[in-house]
Amino acid sequence: MTLEGYPRDLTCKDGTTLTVRPVEARDKDALLAFYRELPEEDRLFLRDDVTSQLWADRFMASIDYETVIPLLAVTADQEIVANGTLYRTLHGWTRHVAEVRLAVARPYQRRGLGTAMLRELVRVATSHGVEKIVASVVDNQVGAIRAFEKRGFHREAVLKGHVKDIRGHKRDLVIMANDVSHIWEAMAAMVADYSPTLGG
Amino acid sequence: MPKTEIRVGGLGGQGVILCGHIIGKAAAIYDNKHATLIQSFGPEARGSACSAQVSLADEPIGYPYVKRPDVLIVMSPDAYSQFAPTLKPGGILLYESELVSLDEKLPEGVTAYGIPATRLAEELGRRLVLNIVMVGFFVGTTALVSAEAAERAVVHSVPKGTEQLNQRAFRKGLEFGLNLTGQGNGGPRHDA
Repeated sequence: MTLEGYPRDLTCKDGTTLTVRPVEARDKDALLAFYRELPEEDRLFLRDDVTSQLWADRFMASIDYETVIPLLAVTADQEIVANGTLYRTLHGWTRHVAEVRLAVARPYQRRGLGTAMLRELVRVATSHGVEKIVASVVDNQVGAIRAFEKRGFHREAVLKGHVKDIRGHKRDLVIMANDVSHIWEAMAAMVADYSPTLGG
Repeated sequence: MPKTEIRVGGLGGQGVILCGHIIGKAAAIYDNKHATLIQSFGPEARGSACSAQVSLADEPIGYPYVKRPDVLIVMSPDAYSQFAPTLKPGGILLYESELVSLDEKLPEGVTAYGIPATRLAEELGRRLVLNIVMVGFFVGTTALVSAEAAERAVVHSVPKGTEQLNQRAFRKGLEFGLNLTGQGNGGPRHDA
């Protein structure tokens, strides 16, 4: 399995150069280590217990680069500093939608890495024909919301009191969405085989 | 290369004109050949018949109209019925194999290659790119333009943001064509 266009270099705001590439089988232990290093408050809002070996086994088995497309940002020493994954279905009424989940190591936060990873994920999503990309963010994750907004996402819905933070306080869950269907509308117009000035 | 005449036929909305445009662009801009394009549309846009006539040559082309194509690319049954009888003997037919069925209209000696382009495009994520799958298939089966030139023409012809999917579509068609003609991993060939 391969993902076209990768690996590729990515430069943070401070000039740090990282490599973005798909997750491979050899990354399982390093990915687990990356998530175990995340502070508990960062991990709390993730959907799965990403510190468990069972999660790692299941996640690695689910990767097919079609419905589960995970990207890593790694240092020159192959240390994982960010993981962003696109999830999509190939059938059903949301087959045009992909969900993005993203985690960035604390030392690499506020360096533009999240925004850069989102750019890559949006690129991968459109290369798979996706029309809409969504993400779930807790209302106090200001940096994450800003990163999503920089990449064209907007607040589409708020689920009140939907999640509990580390202290057990209920918080709002913000659904961010990026509608990229306009690029497909442009493509549809191009293949319409119609010219208002030519005919017959 | 002697002058080679190509006709692309299909329905509005299948990207027939863009298919012809990219083949011509690949030859003229990126392969340093000469190319002409004539396009015709039905009275309505989506779903009506349309076709593109493309001529490729090493020398300047004095007459751009295609009457007896060397290569016919068809994406709909109507286009096949209308244009298949006009194929030159010994010509090549490239057809959407899940939409078009071959019959006695095909002149003798024509080599026909089919590809399920619509299904392949859907598998890639967008049916819209079936015409780009056909461009790749055309290059893989005929080699009339280089793969590099055609891929560059694809990337520089499609809307921003859709380049990667179109590139994947091109490569899918190319690979299918190469396999079908025995230049890839091998595969069956159908001679009419």
